[in-house]
Amino acid sequence: MNANKIWAIARKDIGHYFSSPLGYVVLAVFFLVTGFFFALIVEQTRSASMVPVFQNTIIILLFITPMITMRLWSEEEKSGTAELLRTSPLTSWEIVLGKYLAVCVFFGAMLSATLVYLVIMVFAGNPDLGPVVANYVGYGLAAMSFFALGLLASTLSENQIVSAVITYGILLMLWVIGAAGGSVQGKLGDLLKYVSIFEHMDDFFKGVIDLSHFFYFASLIFLGLFFSVKVLESKRS
Amino acid sequence: MIEVKDLVKTYGDLAAVDHVTFSVPQGTILGLLGPNGAGKTTTMRVLTTSLAMNSGKVTVDGYDVADQPQEVRKRIGYLPEVPPIYGDMDVISYLKFVADIKDVAPAKKANRIGEVLEMLDLENMSRRLIGHLSLGYRQRVGLAQAILHDPDVLILDEPTRGLDPKQILEIRKLIKSLSGQKTIILSTHILPEVSSTCDDVVIIDQGKVVAADSVENLSQRLAGGKTLELEVKGPAVEIEKAFEKLEGVATVKGVGRESKGINKFEVTTDGSIEAREGLFHCVVKNKWVLYQLNPVGMSLEDVFLKLTTKESVS
Repeated sequence: MNANKIWAIARKDIGHYFSSPLGYVVLAVFFLVTGFFFALIVEQTRSASMVPVFQNTIIILLFITPMITMRLWSEEEKSGTAELLRTSPLTSWEIVLGKYLAVCVFFGAMLSATLVYLVIMVFAGNPDLGPVVANYVGYGLAAMSFFALGLLASTLSENQIVSAVITYGILLMLWVIGAAGGSVQGKLGDLLKYVSIFEHMDDFFKGVIDLSHFFYFASLIFLGLFFSVKVLESKRS
Repeated sequence: MIEVKDLVKTYGDLAAVDHVTFSVPQGTILGLLGPNGAGKTTTMRVLTTSLAMNSGKVTVDGYDVADQPQEVRKRIGYLPEVPPIYGDMDVISYLKFVADIKDVAPAKKANRIGEVLEMLDLENMSRRLIGHLSLGYRQRVGLAQAILHDPDVLILDEPTRGLDPKQILEIRKLIKSLSGQKTIILSTHILPEVSSTCDDVVIIDQGKVVAADSVENLSQRLAGGKTLELEVKGPAVEIEKAFEKLEGVATVKGVGRESKGINKFEVTTDGSIEAREGLFHCVVKNKWVLYQLNPVGMSLEDVFLKLTTKESVS
């Protein structure tokens, strides 16, 4: 596995985000909504806490993810550049990791803008930083899981819109499945609740970093990336 | 250098490539000729490891495409039917990306890119977004990507598509100049391209090889001059008998009637001018009327059309 090649692919895909309006629009919308929530919540609660902001903006992540993952593989197939990647000395893992890295870096840029709010709070109030860190970590893990699944969805179709719809489907499932778990008794109910992303976000929102949740997110990430590689490989036959 | 043995690729019941066999010696240029849907692109995709075959054995420089695909990929440059370019990147950034994924040594990267830009006359366009380039320039960027890492083997799917006549000549010149050092397979519909650029030709139709030979041999096998076409007004049977008796005439075949008693004949001769003159004098002596006396040759076009409309070539 060649790190240079992974980075070459990541760099290219990051470039794609900024060579069309999409990247800028997504960033703008994200800043707008998080800024709005931050302002609103600080005004309402009069407390220097980021937590409600995160809780509310996790939903934006649900909406934004398909927008930024849909083109990751679909566009390569559509424009014929997939042939270039397939016939170059690259492994499917290098391709998948490169693209995954690109979307994570893009997200990093998005998230780092929220540090502005953090700075404001530190100056204006006396925030408890522990929970803030926990929230960032949880939020980051959730995002990274969504992206891995979005990347998988992108490999499933040449059509970006179809990929986006599949992603919405998967993410909504993860979201509402907990509610279903609530109404089902016994082992099945527990299983459904375990799969729900909110179950695992909850502790992070409360400011607790519980390592057992890492396993959940790591599994989602691994599954997303692993099956992306498998789908890519299957396209050769 | 390239060996294809019994290659089969099916899509459901349809055999897109049906037991295709050919080989390409090192340093030569092979033309892959065939109508649309013949299986040329599928064959190329298998060669470049983009597609897996159902059965058969394909090796490039001794490496099996099924067992050692990465080794094959290092040694080939591929220009697909649609050039694999990113419209939102400029030419130089694109070539830098290609250099990175194809293992061009970092120290040589800048020089090599400059070299290739010059070779393909892309220097003026190097900072332009590929999406803003004309079809001809885009095709050249596609070619640039194929030769950038200086591979031993080039697989080019219709390399002159979309180019104007001047550019076509330049690209053919470039391809020809690369032969000897590189082994090249190019697919095309343009028959003169095969005759002028390629050493060997494989004609594919409906997934099967219908002819494989050197360009020289194939053209010669069916060269003109030995077959003549005549239109003579007169009694068909007597004309045929009279022609057959002539010196230098091999076979006479009546091939139908034009209107008003004019008969058409296909006469194969020894190719000599005396045979032609003999036919003329024969007509005059018998007081028939000669309407046409033409040599009938088979150009590569004719070979191609004949082979791909299921007539056999004798």
